[in-house]
Amino acid sequence: MPETYEELEEDLMKSTKGSRVFRRLMGDILSQRRDTAILVTAVMITAVAGTLYPLALGDAINGIVDGNVNLLVLFAASFLGLYLLSFFSNRLRTISSTKLAQRSIKNIRDSAFRTLQNVPVSFYGKIKMGYLISRISNDAESLSDFLTFQLPQVVAGVSTVILSISIMIYLDLGLSLYALIIVPVMMAFTFGIQGKVRRNYLRTRKTIAAVTGSMAENIGAIRAIKSFNVEDRTYQKFDRLNRDNFTANMKAAFVSSFYGASITVIESVGIAIVIVAGAMQLISGAITVGLLVAFIIYVQEFFDPVLQLSQLYNSYQSAAVGLVRIYGIIDSELEKNGAGTSLPVTDWNTLEFKDVGFSYGKSRALERVNLRIERGDKIAIVGHTGAGKTTLSNLVLRFYSPGEGKVTVDGRDLTGIEMKSWRRLVAPVLQDPFLFRGSVMENIRFSRPAVTEDEIEHLATQYGMKEIFESLPEGIQTQVGEMGRNLSEGQRQAISVMRAFIRDSPIMVLDEPTSQIDPYSERIIMDALRIYLKDKTLILITHRFSMVSLADRIIVVDMGQIVDSGNFDELMSRKGVFSELYNLQHGSFADS
Amino acid sequence: MQQIEKAGKKNVTRIFSFLKPLVFSFRYISAKKWFFVVLMIAAVISTVARLLVPVYIGSSVSGIESGNLSLAETFALLIIYASIISGVTRFGVNYIAQYLAQTYAYNLTGDLFSHILRKKFSFYESQTSGDLLSRGTMDVRASMNFIVSTMSQLIPTMLLILVSIYFLFSINPAYSLSFILAVPVLIYLGIVFQRKQRSHWRNIRANYGRMNEELQENIVGQRVVRGFTAEDEEIGKFTGTTQEYYSEYMKVARLRGFYNNLMPFVISAAATSVLLYGGYTTLIARGDVGPLVSVINIFTMMSFPVGFMGRLIVFSENARASIDRISVVLDSRDIEDPVAGEGSPTGFELTMNDVTFHREKRLVLDGVNLSVRRGEVLGIGGKTAAGKSTLVNLIPRFYDPDSGSIKIDGTDIRNFPLRELRRKVALVPQEINVLSGSFLDNIAFGNGEVDRDRAKWAADIAQISGFIESLPESYDSMIGERGITLSGGQKQRVGVARAVYEKPEILILDDATASVDPKTELDMLRAIKNDLKDLSILLVTHRESALKFCDRVLMVENGKLVRKETEEADVHEDPAVFREGGVNIAGDV
Repeated sequence: MPETYEELEEDLMKSTKGSRVFRRLMGDILSQRRDTAILVTAVMITAVAGTLYPLALGDAINGIVDGNVNLLVLFAASFLGLYLLSFFSNRLRTISSTKLAQRSIKNIRDSAFRTLQNVPVSFYGKIKMGYLISRISNDAESLSDFLTFQLPQVVAGVSTVILSISIMIYLDLGLSLYALIIVPVMMAFTFGIQGKVRRNYLRTRKTIAAVTGSMAENIGAIRAIKSFNVEDRTYQKFDRLNRDNFTANMKAAFVSSFYGASITVIESVGIAIVIVAGAMQLISGAITVGLLVAFIIYVQEFFDPVLQLSQLYNSYQSAAVGLVRIYGIIDSELEKNGAGTSLPVTDWNTLEFKDVGFSYGKSRALERVNLRIERGDKIAIVGHTGAGKTTLSNLVLRFYSPGEGKVTVDGRDLTGIEMKSWRRLVAPVLQDPFLFRGSVMENIRFSRPAVTEDEIEHLATQYGMKEIFESLPEGIQTQVGEMGRNLSEGQRQAISVMRAFIRDSPIMVLDEPTSQIDPYSERIIMDALRIYLKDKTLILITHRFSMVSLADRIIVVDMGQIVDSGNFDELMSRKGVFSELYNLQHGSFADS
Repeated sequence: MQQIEKAGKKNVTRIFSFLKPLVFSFRYISAKKWFFVVLMIAAVISTVARLLVPVYIGSSVSGIESGNLSLAETFALLIIYASIISGVTRFGVNYIAQYLAQTYAYNLTGDLFSHILRKKFSFYESQTSGDLLSRGTMDVRASMNFIVSTMSQLIPTMLLILVSIYFLFSINPAYSLSFILAVPVLIYLGIVFQRKQRSHWRNIRANYGRMNEELQENIVGQRVVRGFTAEDEEIGKFTGTTQEYYSEYMKVARLRGFYNNLMPFVISAAATSVLLYGGYTTLIARGDVGPLVSVINIFTMMSFPVGFMGRLIVFSENARASIDRISVVLDSRDIEDPVAGEGSPTGFELTMNDVTFHREKRLVLDGVNLSVRRGEVLGIGGKTAAGKSTLVNLIPRFYDPDSGSIKIDGTDIRNFPLRELRRKVALVPQEINVLSGSFLDNIAFGNGEVDRDRAKWAADIAQISGFIESLPESYDSMIGERGITLSGGQKQRVGVARAVYEKPEILILDDATASVDPKTELDMLRAIKNDLKDLSILLVTHRESALKFCDRVLMVENGKLVRKETEEADVHEDPAVFREGGVNIAGDV
């Protein structure tokens, strides 16, 4: 799904995708009826006021020429009155357009986030985090300019132009025709140059995307860059992209500056035509001075909206590209979580793998796995890295569903059970002990927000884990930095284990929980686990033999298949993969 | 008295404070000051020519009124000429404004990036990567937008106001009066607007940052969220943040709705007073209406740019906040100099003498002594967070000790250029970043030439060559964003290959093979030992099997290095230890 910018751009230029997403956005906006109505009203009032004030001015001038003070005062007052009116309507417009724009942006962000919470786990294997974040934050933001400023301004401008032309024609058809001669020229010029503007604009988007991408990657890899002294090379590479971006922007600036300047000249030609034509009609007595003055202002008023229109395109384009990408995320296929359609589970007795096969893309991970786990069982799954151990736990947690065969709970296919209800029965300790920003306490409570802090302290003492938390700078209230970087692997693991304890689910899945922990902390955690697991079911994935003692049954996995199972002594006596693994860690390695 | 003066000064600085981003920008565009001069000249010409248009309109109306058609035609032509001049110079103003702004963005981006590259390691701990990225992109853009608007809108508008006053004065001094009175009102409104919205912009930015953080956490930690079925809570948290973002935006919108539209209204009010006064006097005098038409046209011309001023203040607010954030990165503290110093470590013997190190006031290392000999494999174990990683991170000077010294062959490592030191000391961390590119690019990552055979050799040692060669494109297979996704263990092996490729003298494996299975890990260690005999290895690990491979094992405990308590037999069996006469903890230097 993350198409490159180039692909997307081509797509947008060729197809109707751009206008389609735009229509969808408008649909969202228009569904906020009240604010849309306010906005439209405000825009219309502004347009009417903007169209009438030259008329008031013209009549005031006529009053002066005719020596009529009352007319002067009347029309000068209405001149000001119209401005006062447009002050209020513009104010309303600013507020309601921001409201519509920001609420749409919020809605889009919220639905994108909701989608992210409900897509299959495999989604994250395909799409980079940076891509997702910049879509949801930056691309949504790019709508802001378009919706808040550009769109209402253009709607107002176009209405003004239409109203102005109508009034002009009503006032004096002949002079109107002269005044409008310039319009086709302006249109032709605008459309002629648009293609160039568009291409230049798209090029700048591409170059800035390259700059951002390179910066993101290099910030991520900063430690490697410094370790290997490649700062200079990295800088040079980056500088090339930065310079390309500069050049592309200057090209775009040339065209848009040229366009702006040309419009000024075309505008003045229009005014000159009106003056000369008006002068002749005035002299022949067909029109008044006031009318001529009004016409001159009308012609000038045409051009601001036209200049705005050219800016609209850039803004529209960036909004459309952003929208296509965000809607792409929002429309991602959701995981079939069975909510509403399938029945929940509240308890379980037997979990069974029946002829289960699984692949990540093309690489095969599991092959015809059969496994039965009864309530209260404590099993360990061991094997070399890449043997398929974690895949088994992923299937238990329903992060993935089997490619072939099925996983059943008390005979019911797991895919037919409401997902969340199943996950409530399983407390995971994952390979990566991911922590959120906030305190250690908040991270532990994450798994069950209903638990009080006192209860957690109490449980930590009960499980003998208190010591680990107390060793933190501010104890259990220590703040966790970004991704828990200020804590050691072991501390993170301990928090992650405690988090699973608090969950208090009947099944615990432990995936390599202590691979990073020192023997001392490991002992503490092992003791805690022994207490906790007394009447629980354990699925332990490990290649550390010190932990195997927690299990009564060991499953040996190799090359995606279960190759052996039994208790420790049985397996050791068989001299298979298991004893080989064991010897690696406990036997002498020198002669192996 | 002094206080009044101070307050006065404060007000003056407040007026000009919204120009702060410009002052900041000067250092990036000062080399182009002639462009700025040309811009100013073009802007003056453009403004005068532009203001001549309403003057000529008035004059032509006067001509028409007096029935002089040829006079009207002359002025019509003059209007076109004036517009052409104004158009051409306007083009110059806009293009140069863009040129200066883009130059600013280019230089600033480059400067920021080079600062990011040169910062000390401690800096990256105080900043999240998302934050750094948004400083390098969004903030640069926000401050650049202000430069563009200042150059192409603010300066012309200021000139427009000044030249208008002159023109109005020359038409009729009384006409200019109402305008001159309007100017301070506009400035006052601008200041109030700016002050009122400032805190809201700060909140908007803070919420934006929080939103990004929550996104990042929920993407990286999505298995945890799902595993604990916390999706709905997280959605609730996120929508709460976006709601706050929204409501802050609305507060700004309300302010903007009021002030931004009040400013053009002030201009209109001034225009009305001129219309009334001028109209009345003209009417009484039965005078020429032309000048009044000119004046009204001048006012009309003004209302759009003045309305834009309000937006400019918003831009300025954004730009100032952005520059504050950018300045944190540009601050010259925390910069490392990779070339200062002389010589190059030979790596025969590494010693640490009474090294202490604090992290956020917590004593992590408390007088550590250590010596590692050439070709030795030293295992470092210890409790979680005991300071093992910190200890080894001091060797390539990712951090410097608070006291004590680290020496290689008797020379303090602070005397070597960082570049030389890091060439000789390779540290492989637990988390490996692969960059988008091929395996070859990622393995031959250092400054040396890209040597395919050497990369293969390194991959062999790191036990990853089998995997790479099984791929259709072998070492040219792309990894990273648009290539193959590697597992944690594979990334770690690429990390080891990358380090080995450089043929360092000291290799530090900082839990670098935690995701590699023990058998492969041992094969790797053996291969390293085999191919690089003189290499000293520091192996930070918890794994029993790996520790057994070491010549010597030390434990970090309570900030000190001590001999491993258990399995002493293993240690004593090691001939290396006997040669040294027992485990050397204190390091006899």
